[in-house]
This record gives sequence, C-alpha cells and structure tokens, in this order.
Amino acid sequence: MLNIEKADDLLGISLNNILSYRKMDKDFIGLVNNWNKKIIIEIEKFYPVEVVFDGNEIKFKIDKLDEKVDLKVKMSLKSLLEIAYARLNPINAVLKGKVKIKGMFRIGIVLKFLKIFVNSMRMVASQPNQNYYELNKETR
Amino acid sequence: MYEKISMEEVRARLEEIFGATNVSNKQVDLYPYSYDMTECTKHMPDFIVIPESKEQLVELVKFCNNYVIPIVPYISGNNVGGLTIPERGGIIVDFGKKMNKIIHVDDNMMYALLEPGVTFGQLQKYLEENFPNLRYSYPFAPPYAGVVGNVILSGMNNMSCKLGSMGDSINGIEVITADGEIARIGSCFYGKDEADVKSWWSRYPMPDLMGLFINWQGMTGLVTKCAVQLWPKVKYKKIYLAVTFGLTDVASILREAGRTEVIDDISAVSVEVVKMSVEVPEPIKYSGEPDFAALLVISAKTKKQFEAKQEIVEKTIDYLNEKGKNIILADVDEFSKLFNLRVRCYLDLPAALLSLVEYSGLTWFGSYAPSHKLEELIEKIDKIFHKHNIPSFIYMKSMKSSHYSIFRPIMRYMKFKEGEEERYHACLEEITDTCIGLGCIPYKTPAWMTAKLRDKINPGWLNLFEKIKNCLDPNNIFNPGRWNT
Repeated sequence: MLNIEKADDLLGISLNNILSYRKMDKDFIGLVNNWNKKIIIEIEKFYPVEVVFDGNEIKFKIDKLDEKVDLKVKMSLKSLLEIAYARLNPINAVLKGKVKIKGMFRIGIVLKFLKIFVNSMRMVASQPNQNYYELNKETR
Repeated sequence: MYEKISMEEVRARLEEIFGATNVSNKQVDLYPYSYDMTECTKHMPDFIVIPESKEQLVELVKFCNNYVIPIVPYISGNNVGGLTIPERGGIIVDFGKKMNKIIHVDDNMMYALLEPGVTFGQLQKYLEENFPNLRYSYPFAPPYAGVVGNVILSGMNNMSCKLGSMGDSINGIEVITADGEIARIGSCFYGKDEADVKSWWSRYPMPDLMGLFINWQGMTGLVTKCAVQLWPKVKYKKIYLAVTFGLTDVASILREAGRTEVIDDISAVSVEVVKMSVEVPEPIKYSGEPDFAALLVISAKTKKQFEAKQEIVEKTIDYLNEKGKNIILADVDEFSKLFNLRVRCYLDLPAALLSLVEYSGLTWFGSYAPSHKLEELIEKIDKIFHKHNIPSFIYMKSMKSSHYSIFRPIMRYMKFKEGEEERYHACLEEITDTCIGLGCIPYKTPAWMTAKLRDKINPGWLNLFEKIKNCLDPNNIFNPGRWNT
C-alpha cells in the first residue's frame, strides 16, 4: 500500500493529485516503492517543493529543504503544461533549456523521474473525464 | 401579536386565501425561516404561506395592509444578508414552492418570463433541453438559488464584465403594491388584462418605474413576474487562469483586461479560496505562493473572432508583465486537471462551491467598488483578516468593461459554535467600516450595515428614499426593518 501525503500548499496539492492518480497502479507502485530518493521540483515564480520517496511513502516539503538531494528540476508552468499535454517532448525540453535539471549525470534517476512524473502527468492530462465526482473515488 | 386582529383570525383568513395546507404557524415549520447563513439576529415569523397565484397575493396584501401585518417575500433563503429574516414577525410568502414556473422563453427577442421561485438550476436545465441556442448567466451560487431574487437585488453573474449588474438585464416586472393593485412595468405595460407573453421585450423608453422595486429588498411591493434577458450561446469558449504574485497585482488585471471589451467575466479570489475549494478548510498562504487567482472568460461565434480575443487577452497580460506586474497565464481546463478537478465547479456554474457551503455560517461585505481603490482595499482588508486570525477570502469582479468592480470579503464560520458569530461579526464590522470609508457601496445589505450607510449618505437622498417608501407602503407592511425602515 502506497501512502501519499496530503499537502496544503498549491504545488503539493497538485503533486498529490497527479501521483495519487496512480496510487493503485502496480507498475507505478513498483517504480516508487523503496526508491528512497529526494527530488526538488521548482516551477518558475513559485517556490521549490521537495518530493521525498521514503519506503512506501511519498512526502512533500516546502521549507527546510535538504541541501543534498538526488535531482533538482526547474521549469515554467507553461513548459510543464506543454509536457503534460504532449505538445513538448521532455527530452527536447531539457535540450532546449526549457527544463533545467541539476544531477543530469545520474541518468538512471533522471529516467525514473521521467517515468514517474511525466507519465503520470500525461495520464492525468489525457483522462477524458472532467467531472470530479465520476472519477476514481478511491484516489480522488 | 397584532393590534387590530387576533392570531386566530389571521390564520382563518390566510386559510381562506391559500387553503389550510398552504398555511402554517407551527414552530417547527416557522423555525427554518427565522435565520439564514449569516450572523444576523434570528427572528421568528408568525405565519408562513405558500402562494400559487397572484390573485391570492392581492388578497393577502389587501388584508395585511388593512391590519398592518408585515409581509416578507422568500424564495430559497440563499441571500447572504439576512434579507428574509422577518425582523418584525409577520407572514413569510414562500414563492419557491409553487410560484416557480418558467412562463415563457422568447427565442426571437431572447428573454425568459419567470415566476419569482424559478431557480438557476431549473432555468439552466430548461434552456439546455428546449432552447440550446440561448444561454443565461449564472452567479457563484448553488443551482437551488433564485434567479429573480438575484436580478432584483442587482447581483452579478458570469457575464458581468460584459453586462454589468444583473439589475440592468431586467426587461419587465409585474408587481403588487400595498393597496393590492397589480402593475406591469416595461414593454408589457400595454393592455388592461393579462399581458401577452411576447410583450416583455424591453424596459425602456417610458419612465423607469422599475427603480421603485429594484434593490428595495421587497420593501415596496411583491414582484410576481420578471422577464430577464437571455443571450445567444456561442460555439467557442475559453477560460484563462491568471495567477498573480504580489498582493495587489490582481487589481490591474481587473481594470486592464476588463476594458479590452472582449471578456465575458473576470472574477478573482485570494489563493486561500483556491485551497478551500480543494478540501483545505483553514488554509495558510505560504511564502512563494501566488496571492490571487483570476478567471478570465472569453467566448466567440467564429474561430477568427475567438483567436483575436485570445490574442487581446494574452497581449494585455504581457503588457502588464512588461510594466512590472507578476502574472502567469494558463488555460484553466489544462491546469485544473493537473491541480484538482474540484476547482472546475467555479467554471460550471451554477454550483454548490465547497468554499461557500462547507461551513454552516457564511457572511460577507458584498459591495460595488471604485476600481481605482482596489489596491488600497486589498491591502487593508487582507490586514484585517490576518488581525482577526481568519483566512483571507477576497472575491472581486470587473463589471461592465471595467467601469466599476465588485469587492467582496467573505467569511465562513461555525454558526452553532459558541462565540463564533460574535468573533466573525467583529471582523466584518471592521471590514465594513474600512470599505465604506473607501467608497464601496454594499448590496443585499443587512439592517446593521444600512444603519452605517445612513450616516454617510447625503440627506437629500435619504429624504427622497423615505418619501418614496412612505408613499408606496404607508403602513410599512413590506419587509419592515430593512434599510432601518
């Protein structure tokens, strides 16, 4: 069973929404369970959020962030939406500087990050149902 | 207790008029009409009646005028101003139960003729099923709130940036005055008998007697029919989300985007409200989070018109950012999926918004505001919210291409928790004094607020107001106590 922390800041709420979408997805559970990594995501003009994968838990921090983390990712809200809605390829986004990653050399972590975050975002974005109440009640 | 007649005699007469099953003075039936969501003082009515026709109401008004018995009109009790609390007791006339018919929708001249009890949800469903090419505009209110109450109290809806106050979109009304006479106002005024349902197409050019009944909170007569304008439904629609960093940057969006004349609606809320809508009931604003979120609605008939409107909105935001504002613009459809679909209830109006219905208590200072004072208003009211340790909940709208604004600080609270009403009222009083001091004019006002207004209004206006009220309702039977009458 995967536990995803409920956040009360805007980006945490959004990350919880995206990751919770796959809470019951076996592939996703396999990816994140015991990954034990710390990733900082920053949306330009907003603030950095640290996503902590700890055993079977995913937690979010917005203050007292760890100095040593495995990956730092920074992009604009526009780029994030373009990636989520498949108008922008994430690799191209990195090459064009639209997504900046600190820790690029940790290729295994980068690839897993893309599988976890980009794939989840795209799944949520492509969900045709716009009605909150008709979606999976377990996760929403 | 009435001076001229006993309660038993009143009950007997009401049963004659409405039938025994449509009259009650049982405490259990009266209690729900004695209060609303606000902290306004409760007061029990003496009777509640459920009318079916204007003929019954004519009889009621004549009877009440003769025996000086208060009449309080009621639709669904969703106003946030204590407007249907019977301050002097009397008879509640509940229009919502049976006088709730959509009498006519005119496709040609685009209006709907309604009885007072018609709700937003009912009108929306009726139009979708029968007139899919027409649209009405809807407020941030639940589907069970009344359409006529909203327009005759100058509410605002999701086309207000284009249309302004909903009071401006009334074509005509039928009203019963204190002497029991029925008057039709607007282009429906021809004819001695019932007006043709196709004659309710304009408010002007005769002397505008409608002003005697609009915004009077039921103090001058009983409105029994109302024709409201409809608009063509267009093919293309988009809602932008603009988030602003910097407490007052949102004010420039309301002014500048509003005056582009391409936007149907601009409404903005504090970021705390966005969180309330996604199940964070007592939100904290964290450092780095935006201060406000604004929704900008555009619609168009053709693709080219749509693209041109998008270009104008996007360039306006670019211009504001070049001028030093800090705004991010996104498509709210895209954003809401990733953020939380719950926020979509703000887009699909009417809706029971979690931020407004979550708690048992709700109160506000809803006002028409001078747009050039928005920055000062935001700063001062945000400070007051923080001083009282209450989450900042500011709602704003740009009205009629930015000619003026709506400024509405809102509070939700636990109505039945001891001490809470007093605590929130103290905050609201401070907000009221500050906003009135800056020139805001509250609408749907509770009596304690109109008492404050009376200290500020010029004597000529007040005297004229009193003269009109005395002339139209010499025995003060219509919703007495409102506006301190």
